[in-house]
Amino acid sequence: MWMEHPGWVLFGTWVAALFTLGIATFLYKDNPVYKFCEAVFVGISAGYWFVSYFWQTLLPKLGYPFYAGVKTMFVGPAEWGWLVLLIPGTLGVMMLLRLVPKAGWIARWPLAFIVGYTAGLRLITFLQSNAMTQLQNSVQPVVRYDASGQFLGWESFNILLVTVGTFAGLFYFFFSQEHKGVFGRVARVGTWFLMITFGAAFGYTVMGRMSLLIGRLDFLLADWLHLIR
Amino acid sequence: MARQQQSEKCASHKPARMGRASGILLFLMLALSASVVFAQAPNGGAAPRSASDPQAADTKGDEGGSIMLRWTLSPDDSAGQVTGYEIFRAAKPDGPFQSVGFASRGSARFADGSTDDDSAYYYKIVTTGPGGSTETAVIGPARSTAEWFNSNRANVLVIGLLISGAVLYYIASARKGKKLFIRRIAGLEAVHDAIGRATEMGRPILYIPGIQDMDDVQTVAGVTILGYVARTIAEYDTKLEVPTSRSIVMSTARETIKAAFLSAGRPEKYSDDMVNYITDEQFGYVAAVDGIMVREKPATCFYMGAFFAEALIMAETGNSIGAIQIAGTAMPAQLPFFVAACDYTLIGEELFAASAYLSNEPRQLGSLKGQDVGKSIAMLAIAAGTALFTLNQILRVEWFASAGQWLKNLFIVN
Amino acid sequence: MRRQVPLLITLVVGAVLIIAAFIPRAPFGGLGENFSLYFDIIAVFAFLLGGGNLIRIHGMRLVRGVGMAITEAKKGGGAWPLRFVIEFPFLAFGGLKDRRGRDWFFSLITLLGFFAMLAAGLLKLGNPKGWQGNVTTPGAMFQEFYDSMFNPLQATMYALLAFFVASASYRAFRAKSVEATILLVTAFIILLGRTPAGAYVTAWMPESLSFLTIPNLANWVMAIPNLAGQRAIIIGIALGVIAMSLRVIIGIERTYLGSDEK
Repeated sequence: MWMEHPGWVLFGTWVAALFTLGIATFLYKDNPVYKFCEAVFVGISAGYWFVSYFWQTLLPKLGYPFYAGVKTMFVGPAEWGWLVLLIPGTLGVMMLLRLVPKAGWIARWPLAFIVGYTAGLRLITFLQSNAMTQLQNSVQPVVRYDASGQFLGWESFNILLVTVGTFAGLFYFFFSQEHKGVFGRVARVGTWFLMITFGAAFGYTVMGRMSLLIGRLDFLLADWLHLIR
Repeated sequence: MARQQQSEKCASHKPARMGRASGILLFLMLALSASVVFAQAPNGGAAPRSASDPQAADTKGDEGGSIMLRWTLSPDDSAGQVTGYEIFRAAKPDGPFQSVGFASRGSARFADGSTDDDSAYYYKIVTTGPGGSTETAVIGPARSTAEWFNSNRANVLVIGLLISGAVLYYIASARKGKKLFIRRIAGLEAVHDAIGRATEMGRPILYIPGIQDMDDVQTVAGVTILGYVARTIAEYDTKLEVPTSRSIVMSTARETIKAAFLSAGRPEKYSDDMVNYITDEQFGYVAAVDGIMVREKPATCFYMGAFFAEALIMAETGNSIGAIQIAGTAMPAQLPFFVAACDYTLIGEELFAASAYLSNEPRQLGSLKGQDVGKSIAMLAIAAGTALFTLNQILRVEWFASAGQWLKNLFIVN
Repeated sequence: MRRQVPLLITLVVGAVLIIAAFIPRAPFGGLGENFSLYFDIIAVFAFLLGGGNLIRIHGMRLVRGVGMAITEAKKGGGAWPLRFVIEFPFLAFGGLKDRRGRDWFFSLITLLGFFAMLAAGLLKLGNPKGWQGNVTTPGAMFQEFYDSMFNPLQATMYALLAFFVASASYRAFRAKSVEATILLVTAFIILLGRTPAGAYVTAWMPESLSFLTIPNLANWVMAIPNLAGQRAIIIGIALGVIAMSLRVIIGIERTYLGSDEK
């Protein structure tokens, strides 16, 4: 087939390589080449996502079940379960009424549904998976002994440090308390723990980002220019 | 495409060969272990003794359609004479019985998830092993039902009510006019100045409500904060630009800004063009936002919502054009980059508190006080549990351990 | 009515979802999943607004820009189509004065890309398996576009992070507060700990000081102080989400709905 033709493959590699270089020119400054790449990227990616939504959400989750349900009205035993799909379908259409000046206010209904859904669902999930799980893991003895009854100083210290650090961090987040005096000092220590957490995430990410760059260079040098193997 | 297929082909030789080799190895190991098992079997090849004390009852706290079976393991279970327990079910005590599932050795429970609610079922549990099988007496009838309350989550309910109660209580008491102190949040105090600066410089303000959709609670926070920011912008008469990465966020942001301009008494200044959908694609979006930044040179950039890797690209570009930058996110992995590249960063909880803070409305501020009570409860629970377990370690009094465990169990989500 | 109904919808949907978390029985048991499905469906409808907005914005810029470019070409006198062609680089790549039409050429490219992708994907152009094939079948035009354009553009944008991480590190390096120093030192230890260099630098240390070798230090930082900070952040976030959700559900936070009484 045409797309397996070596010429086409080579063309694809060249396009990919030129887009790679084009985006990278942004590091120097904004320029028409970058603008071109940006324009292509925005256009095709928006199209890409719509196509994905169409085939992966709209048809399998709404279109096909709806069609199958309506079909039972005419062929075979009638089923009514599909009627529930009228809810999201209607809400979706309401969303589009934003385009009709007189009826634009109806578009707030699906938005209200969405915000209510998010608030209700996330309240429970964050309570369970964030708050309770962390509390559960935080409850543990700060004094440790090994099997023979020997005091484990280092382990105990570490657990104590985690507990103290968690408390200090939570102190920082208090809103109804001025960060002054003893409270302020504890909250300050809390910010240090937060900074260590941020530093850890920072350091942990740097290498990953470098490997992305190496991946791109590898594409340019090996796949495109064949300079390295 | 051909390129990919080629490289896959090159790689595919090895697994095939390795597959064959490992197949032989596996066979040898199986044969070996089987012979070991047979050699070890204490009563060489006889059927294992049966599981005992079988029980069948409705699975608690579920939507029905399930019966939970429990039994005591066969005494031969640990000796390797049991391969597992097969569960048989019938509608009448004398059968006919049909297999509904198999629990491997070592497990003493099985949920039969294929029952019709309120029908009677009879079960027997067959202990199987290489030497044959033995069965328990028939038990039943058991019926499955759908419950109105999931008792497994009673603790979630209690803790949820406790925290929500605190929040609602302080909202109510603030509404009655009780004065509440709320500390300064530097990042939010800076909002006015940042908007003023853009006005003075005659440059636009860029507001990024994250790259997630409205089903992410951080986006909801970002959009509500936008409401207050937009109200100030309406008073200052500055250009606002909100590129969004999701269509629903675009619609919601438009409603929000429109309302903000209306309440600021400037409805005529509002235009849909303030909010534009770019693309759902994370990096396509950031490519366009970077373009807007270097071309329009906004004096102030807000980043409020859920961010991933693109956070740093935007924040660094914003930095390079000399914009004042105020960020807020609850994404722990992106916070360090905002902290490094922005002038102010709202950390986690502060993002969700920001709209309440900016509204300066007593009821909303009351909810912040409620959050603090929630934190106090959390710290109290940690302190109490830790103290109990520690006392048990030092004094070796079992009561402390069980009390601590009770407390800890409160936080276990089933 | 226009103001009350949306508030009521938010209240009912939010409250019902919270209550449903504790009721296993149908229809409450699967309500969260159902609503999530509804959300997905509404999102597709909403995309018509987003995509429509994209077409409108770029379409307007294109029309306006082409108009300006033609006017510009006509200024020179003579046959303007010829001038248009000659001056194309100037007219298309930022030469126009008015910003509202200056980037018309790039808007054209965006629209072309958008419609090309829609056509390739929705009509399954060039799909080796024809109309029945999956839209992402290798060899289909949609997938070819993805591989040769979308993918490298995305990967390169992502890879730019390497440079931005470097400049952010430099910035953090210059900041002279206790907090910034802590952040930087921690980042440095973790970074070194993840590379062979970290082990190499501190390999000379005697066994008794093995705790201070970079890899051990990095592991300790990750497991102890980092964990403490994480916990505080995560617990705080949970409380923030709970309080904000409640404000939204009971309707005191309503900026997104067209807040005030006016």
